[in-house]
Amino acid sequence: MGNNKPHPDQKYIEALLKNDTILLSEIYEKFAPKVVGYIKKNSGDDSRAQDIIQETLITIYKQAKEKELKLTCPFDAYFFLLCKRKWLNELKKSSQKEVTINEEVVSINDESVRFAEETEIFNAKHELFTEMFDQLGKACKELLKVTFTIKSMEEVAQKLGQSYAYVRKKKSLCIGQLTQLVQNAPKFNRLKNLL
Amino acid sequence: MTPEEKYELFEKFCSNELSINEKARLNKLIEDDDVVRQELNVYKELYAHLDTNFNSKKEEEALKTNLKKIGDNYFAKMPKGKVIKEKIEKKIHKETTKKSKVIKLPAWSYAVAASVAIIFGVYFFSQSGPKYNDFASIPELSITERGDAKEIVKNAENAFNSKNYVVAEKYLSELISRDENNTEYQFYYGISLVEQDKYVEASQVFKSLQNGNSVYKHKAVWFEALNQLKQKKYDQCAELLKILPAEAEDYNQAQKLLKKIQ
Repeated sequence: MGNNKPHPDQKYIEALLKNDTILLSEIYEKFAPKVVGYIKKNSGDDSRAQDIIQETLITIYKQAKEKELKLTCPFDAYFFLLCKRKWLNELKKSSQKEVTINEEVVSINDESVRFAEETEIFNAKHELFTEMFDQLGKACKELLKVTFTIKSMEEVAQKLGQSYAYVRKKKSLCIGQLTQLVQNAPKFNRLKNLL
Repeated sequence: MTPEEKYELFEKFCSNELSINEKARLNKLIEDDDVVRQELNVYKELYAHLDTNFNSKKEEEALKTNLKKIGDNYFAKMPKGKVIKEKIEKKIHKETTKKSKVIKLPAWSYAVAASVAIIFGVYFFSQSGPKYNDFASIPELSITERGDAKEIVKNAENAFNSKNYVVAEKYLSELISRDENNTEYQFYYGISLVEQDKYVEASQVFKSLQNGNSVYKHKAVWFEALNQLKQKKYDQCAELLKILPAEAEDYNQAQKLLKKIQ
């Protein structure tokens, strides 16, 4: 995907990163109707649709923020696929309601599917990382928070009254422990197979 | 190699602190052992995850608030009458089916129910919670010390006092860049931000004033509370109102607001 030129709809990804109200409103105007229509046809309502749209946009934002996200396909299909699958997952979770599969709403090509899948894997990983972080001890959580929010390690060391080398070592052990937790999680192996 | 040494190499790798020797050592380690290579990959991903997660929390919150607002606007524009009618019909249907005897309602009752619901809706909507605009009384900006930036000061005053906060923000930020410690500029800059719904940035300004010792110390607490109110974050708003001391100019207003949101 890397060599292709970004699609003009890349502007919507940038809008999420810049919190650009005008373009974000345009996303709702242009792309929400299809999603709302789909969700309402499948046991949902306006308020659920609003939640799904917002959650999906936040997921896209997170991916763009942490990794590079260069769309080479239209935003329309990519966004619709993500919202649709998120909604189907919700339905599956809550009950076994009948689901109308309506694929004809937007034209879906392979590239949109690939982008949507990548975002879904990112999201699943993100959730797993957050879940595992919660399992760390209090000391590690705090140390990681401090070392990542205060950029200068010298400053952190000074604040904690420790040497620079000691703080770095502690930090590396905490991330090491987190690495172990993630690698041992059954969910992680399932995700790894998807890559 | 102990796990401690391994993780320290990983850490130095992520923060670009490897010496040439260490780099060679790590490379060899990855080549020889696929398990270590995989572990480094996860470590790297976690490093990036933690970095963005801790550092873009505020930005993410601001985006969420904004999306909620845009979404609310968007969905409010959709035909409401239909939704209310559907809800009432559903409700009536539910209630009538609950009873063993089904009472068939005449058609006009839907219309009555719908109008009653709309009246209630409008009533509760207009009654719902105190609003920023009910409490925010924006002071006039009249900068006393003009120094050498007379033109900018005049422009800032004009823009602010005519409620053109976009322009006011620009001039005030220019003034702040010339005189970083001027709390008057900072305070009015904060208000210009709240007025434009730039909540996160406004919070930063008010918090720093709150921690200082200027005449704007209490004012900043009050406006930060209003900033929270504007975002409907009533709990945070209440916390701030409670710390406003009795000698603060806005104490009475704060108590009034506190009563309404609790």
